[in-house]
Amino acid sequence: MSITLDQVTKHYGGVPVVNDVSLDIGDGEFFVLLGPSGSGKSTLLRAIAGLSGVDHGRISLHGRDVTHVAARKRGVGLVFQNYALFRHMTVADNIEFALRVRHMRGRARRQRRAELLRLVSLEGMDNRLPAQLSGGQQQRVAVARALAHKPEVLLLDEPFGALDAKIREELRRTIRQVQRELGITTVLVTHDQEEAFAMADRIGIMSQGRLLEVGAPHDLYARPATRFVATFLGAANLFLARRTPDGIQVGGKTMGGAERAPGAPEHEVVAVVRPEEVEVAPARDALGSRYLGHGIVDEVTFTGALERLRVRLDEAVRAPLLAAGDGDGRPTLQVTRSRHAYRGFEVQQGQSVAIGLRRVHVLPTPLSSFTACAQSAPLADELSRQPLLTELVARMKTRIAVRIEPSLGVAEEPCQAQGEFFGTTVIAAAGDNVGRAEWLLRRGVKDLLVLPEHAAPPQRVLIHWMSEAARSATLAMSASVLRHVPAEAVYVGIFPGNSDSERHSHGMRELLDARSEAQAAHGLEMRTELHFGDVAQELTRRLAEAPAQMLILGVTELRQFADSFRTLLDGGRWPVLIVQRGAT
Amino acid sequence: MSFRKPSVLPGFGLTFGFTTCFLSTIVLLPLAALVLSAASMHWSDFVRVVSSPRALGSYRLSFGASLLAATINVVFGFIIAWTLARYEFPGRKIIDALIDMPFALPTAVSGIALTTVFAQNGWIGRYLEPLGVKVAYTWLGVTLALTLISMPFAVRAVQPALQEVQRDLEEAAETLGAGRMYVLWRIILPTVLPALLTGFTLAFARAVGEYGSVIFIAGNLPMKTEITPLLIVIHLEEFDYQGAAALGVVMLAISFVILLAINLLQAWGRRRHVRAAH
Amino acid sequence: MGTAAARAGGALMAAALPHGAFADDAATRPGQHTWMHAIVRWLCITVSLTFLAAVLLAPLATVFAMALAHGLAAYLHGFTDPDTLAAIRLTLTTALVVVPLNTVFGLAAAWAIAKFEFRGKSVLITLIDLPLAISPVISGMVFVLLFGLHGWFGVWLQEHDISIVFALPGIILATMFVTFPYVARELIPLMQQLGNDEEEAAITLGAGGWMTFFRVTLPKVRWGLVYGMVLCNARAMGEFGAVSVVSGHIRGLTNTMPLHIEILYNEYNFVGAFAVASLLTLLAVLTLIVKTLVERTGYRRR
Repeated sequence: MSITLDQVTKHYGGVPVVNDVSLDIGDGEFFVLLGPSGSGKSTLLRAIAGLSGVDHGRISLHGRDVTHVAARKRGVGLVFQNYALFRHMTVADNIEFALRVRHMRGRARRQRRAELLRLVSLEGMDNRLPAQLSGGQQQRVAVARALAHKPEVLLLDEPFGALDAKIREELRRTIRQVQRELGITTVLVTHDQEEAFAMADRIGIMSQGRLLEVGAPHDLYARPATRFVATFLGAANLFLARRTPDGIQVGGKTMGGAERAPGAPEHEVVAVVRPEEVEVAPARDALGSRYLGHGIVDEVTFTGALERLRVRLDEAVRAPLLAAGDGDGRPTLQVTRSRHAYRGFEVQQGQSVAIGLRRVHVLPTPLSSFTACAQSAPLADELSRQPLLTELVARMKTRIAVRIEPSLGVAEEPCQAQGEFFGTTVIAAAGDNVGRAEWLLRRGVKDLLVLPEHAAPPQRVLIHWMSEAARSATLAMSASVLRHVPAEAVYVGIFPGNSDSERHSHGMRELLDARSEAQAAHGLEMRTELHFGDVAQELTRRLAEAPAQMLILGVTELRQFADSFRTLLDGGRWPVLIVQRGAT
Repeated sequence: MSFRKPSVLPGFGLTFGFTTCFLSTIVLLPLAALVLSAASMHWSDFVRVVSSPRALGSYRLSFGASLLAATINVVFGFIIAWTLARYEFPGRKIIDALIDMPFALPTAVSGIALTTVFAQNGWIGRYLEPLGVKVAYTWLGVTLALTLISMPFAVRAVQPALQEVQRDLEEAAETLGAGRMYVLWRIILPTVLPALLTGFTLAFARAVGEYGSVIFIAGNLPMKTEITPLLIVIHLEEFDYQGAAALGVVMLAISFVILLAINLLQAWGRRRHVRAAH
Repeated sequence: MGTAAARAGGALMAAALPHGAFADDAATRPGQHTWMHAIVRWLCITVSLTFLAAVLLAPLATVFAMALAHGLAAYLHGFTDPDTLAAIRLTLTTALVVVPLNTVFGLAAAWAIAKFEFRGKSVLITLIDLPLAISPVISGMVFVLLFGLHGWFGVWLQEHDISIVFALPGIILATMFVTFPYVARELIPLMQQLGNDEEEAAITLGAGGWMTFFRVTLPKVRWGLVYGMVLCNARAMGEFGAVSVVSGHIRGLTNTMPLHIEILYNEYNFVGAFAVASLLTLLAVLTLIVKTLVERTGYRRR
C-alpha cells in the first residue's frame, strides 16, 4: 500500500477537525478527497504532507511509518491552491529548488528541469518570473516543482480553485496525464464533485472530519450508503419509505426491492431517487415505470441537453419527501429529463402529470426520522425545539413528527395515539426516565432518545451494548449519529467482576471484534476501552469525567435494563440513545 | 492634452486652488527664500562655509551616526518584526502598540529622558561606565538617540512584509526538502529585502535631520559631537543668515537625493518582479 | 489578474482554518527540533525586549520617575510657575490654530488629488511630502529667512511694527509647515482606495458638492481623519527643532512646552523639566491609545 492512514485524528481547540480517519491508497492510484469546506480534507492532506502534526493515529508512506517524520524527509510533493511559487526566483530556479537542496550537480539539474518543463508543456519558460505567467502556467510550474525530486506521493490541495473554468479543465487533463505517465500515487483535495468524478480512480468523501464513504465514482453515485453522500454527489430526492415483506413502499405503493430478511418487522427507511430516475407521463398507463402518484409541475428549466423540472406532489400521495436544502415550504420532486424524453412529452408549468419511479435505492442507515413524544402538546412542542434535536434534524435533513401520549409512563395503560411508532422516538428527560422509557420500549419503540433540556452537541459519544444481540443495531445507529456530529466515538466494553489476565485478554478480543465490525460493516471508526465492574457505575463514572457527552446503549432485556440503569438515566444529565433489539 | 480630465464631481477649482495657495505660502515661498538666500552668496563664501572643518566634522557625525543608527534599526527591526509576527507572548499587543511611541513622543522629551538614563549615574549608564563605555555626551549617545527616534520606521516597514502570506512559501520549501536555515536564507530574506531597504532609507532620512532628541545627549562639542542642524542654529544665532542658508541647502540637497533614492528603490522593488522576458 | 484571484482563493483557504492555526501547526509539526525552536524563540523574544527596554521603555519610565523624584507635591508645584503656565497656554493655542487649519488643508488636498485626474499630480504629492524629509531646523530657518530681521520682509515688517519671528505668528507658521502633511497623507490614499462611486451616485441623485462632501465623503473617511488629526496634534504640540529656531526663546512669551523643557533642564531644574515632559508623554500615550482604538474599528493604513 502506498499511503496508509490509521485512525488519524487532529483537534483544533477541542474540536476534532479530522476524526479517526483510516484509509488505504494503492500504488499509482489517483485518489480524491471530496467534501465541503470545513470537512477536514485539507487538514488531512497537510497531515499526510507533514506540515501539521496529528494528535492520534499513524501515517505510513510505502510501508514506512512517517507519523513523526519531518515534512522535508517524507518524500512528498505538495501543490498549493495559490501556487506558493517563490516570487523572487525564475521558473527554472523554482523547479530546481528541491534539487539544489539535495546538492544535485548543475548539468543533472538542468536536464531534469528540461524534462519537467516538457512534462507540463512549458518548454522555453525557464527565465520567466512567476509574475509574468498566467494562473494556469503558474500552477503547472508548481506541479513541475513538486515533482522535481521524484517524490513517492503527489499531493494537491484544491489546485484549481483560483482558475477559470476553461483553464481548469485543461489542467485537469494535464495532471491526469502526468500522473498516468509517471505512475505516481496521487491524492487530490477538492470540493468540486465534477472534478472528483473526472479525475479519480477512487473517491473518499469527508464531512465534519469523518471519512464517510470510499469507492469508485460510479459506485458512490449509484449506491450511496449515507444521506450526505447521496445529496452531495449530485441532486437526489430523499423519501421516507417503509420496508415491508412485499418490498419497499413509497407513499403506499410498492416499488420493488427484494426482501432481505423475511419476517423482519416493517420499519421506516430512507430511499434515494435520482432526478434522472423519475419519469413523468400524461397518465398512469403511459408510464413505463412503477406509478407513484400525480403531481403539478412547478417549474421548468431548459438547459440544452437536459430539462429540469420541479414537481409538487399531490396531497393524496402520502410520500414524505425530505427537503434537500431548498428551504421554501413543501419540498418539490426534482426531475431531470433527456432531450429524447422532453421531445416525446412536453410539459408546461402548472400541468398535472403522472409520476413513476424507475429505480429506488435504499440507504442502509437506520436513523430515518424523529418523533417527539410527550404527554401534552405544549410539552411535545418544547421538546421538538431542543437545540440538539433541531441540529441533528437539520444535519440529517430529516423531520420531526409529534406524538401525544397522555398516559406516557403509566404502567398497564395502552398507547392512545394512532399508528405504530416509526423512526426514532425522543422524550424529554424529566424524572422517572426509566419508567417512561420502559413504557415506550414495551409498546413497540425500537430506538429511543432521552434528551435532557438544553443538552449541548456532544464532543464524545460512548457506546455500549448489554448483549451481543443488540451489537449490530447499536453500531449501525452509532455510525449514523456520528456521521452528523463531530464527536469522538468510544466503545466502552464493561465486564463484570475483577480484571485478571484471562478475563483481560478475553475482553481485549471482544473489543477488537467490536472495532472491526464497526469498521467493516458500518464504516465507523471508534476507539475502544476495557473496564471491569458494574456496568452502570462504570458508565456513569466515565460520563462524569468530562462535559458534553452522549451515551448510546444497546438493550436486549428490558427488566435488566430498567434495574441497572435507573440511577444513570434518572439523573438526566446526558442524552442517552437506547437501541432495543432481540427478545423483549 | 488638456490639464485635467473632465469629471462629474464638483469642487476641483476650489480645492485645487486652495491647496496650491496653501502650499505656495507655507512651503514654496519659504523654500525659495532659502535657496535664493544661499544663492546670493559668493561661490567662494559658499564653499568656505560648507567645507569648513567644523562643518565637515558635523557632516561626519550627522551622516555617520545616522547610517549606523539606520543599520542597527534594520537588524533589530527585523528581529522585532519577526518576534511580533511569529511568536505569542504576554504583552505582545502592548509592545506592538508601543513601537510607535517615538513617533508620537516629542523629541525634547526623548532627548532629556535618554540623557538621564545613559548619564554616568543613570539607570543604564551606571553599568556601562565601569566598562569604560561612555554614552552620554559622545557620538555613541548621538547614535543611540537617532536609533530611538528612527526605530518605528524600520519595524513598521518590515512588519507587513513578514506578515504577508509567507506561510505557503515556507511550507512549500519544506515539502521540497529545505531545512529551517535554508528557508530563512533563501526564501524569507530575499522576499523581505525590499522592505528592509525601504526601512533603512526611511530611518536614515529621519535621523539625518534630527535635532531635538540629539542636542541633549550629544554634548555639542564642535567637531566632536556637534550635529549639522546645531551648526545651522549657531549660524542663525550669530545672524549669519547666509551661512546658515548655505548649510541648509546642502542638507536639503542630500534630503532630495534620499527622497529620490526611496522612490527609485520602491520602483525597482516592484519592477524586479516583472523583468523583461528574455 | 490570476494572482489577484489566487490571493482571494488563498484568503478563502485561510478563513477555513481557525485563527492561529499557522502558529499552532508550526509548533506541532512533526520532526521539528523542538528544543532548537524553543531556544530561537526565547532568544528572539529576549533580544527584542532588551533592545526595546533600553531604547524605549527606560526613557519612558525615567520621565515619570524623575518628575516624581521629590514627591507629588514638588511635581504639582512645578505647574504653578507662571512661565510654565504660559508655555502650556502657548502650546495649546498653537495646536488649536494649527490642527484645524491643517485639517482643512488635508481635506481639500485629498479631495483634489483623489477625485480628479490632472497633470502634475505627482509633483503635488511630492510637495506635500516635503516637510517630512526636511530637518526641523531648516523648517524653522526658512521662516527666519523670510520674516527675520535681516530677512526678505524683515524691514517692511519692522516698519509696520509687526513681529512674526520671535512671536506667536512665527511659531504657528513653523508648526504648520512641519505638521501639515499628516492629515493629507492619511486621507489621500484612503480616499483613493475608497473610490468615487458613492460620490458620483450622490451627484446623479441631485446632491450638491458640499452636501456630497459632508454627507457622503466625510462619514466614509472619518477614522482616517481622526487618525491624521491626532498625529498632527501630537506633532504640533511636541515640535521642538523648528519652533526653537523661530521662537527666540523669550521666557513667558514665546516658549512652547518643549522649549520650556529645554530651559528648565539646562537650569538643572530636573523635576520641573520632567514634570512638563510628563504631560507631553501622557499626550503621546493618549495618541497611541486613540491610534489603537481607531485601528480596532477596522481602519488599516495603506
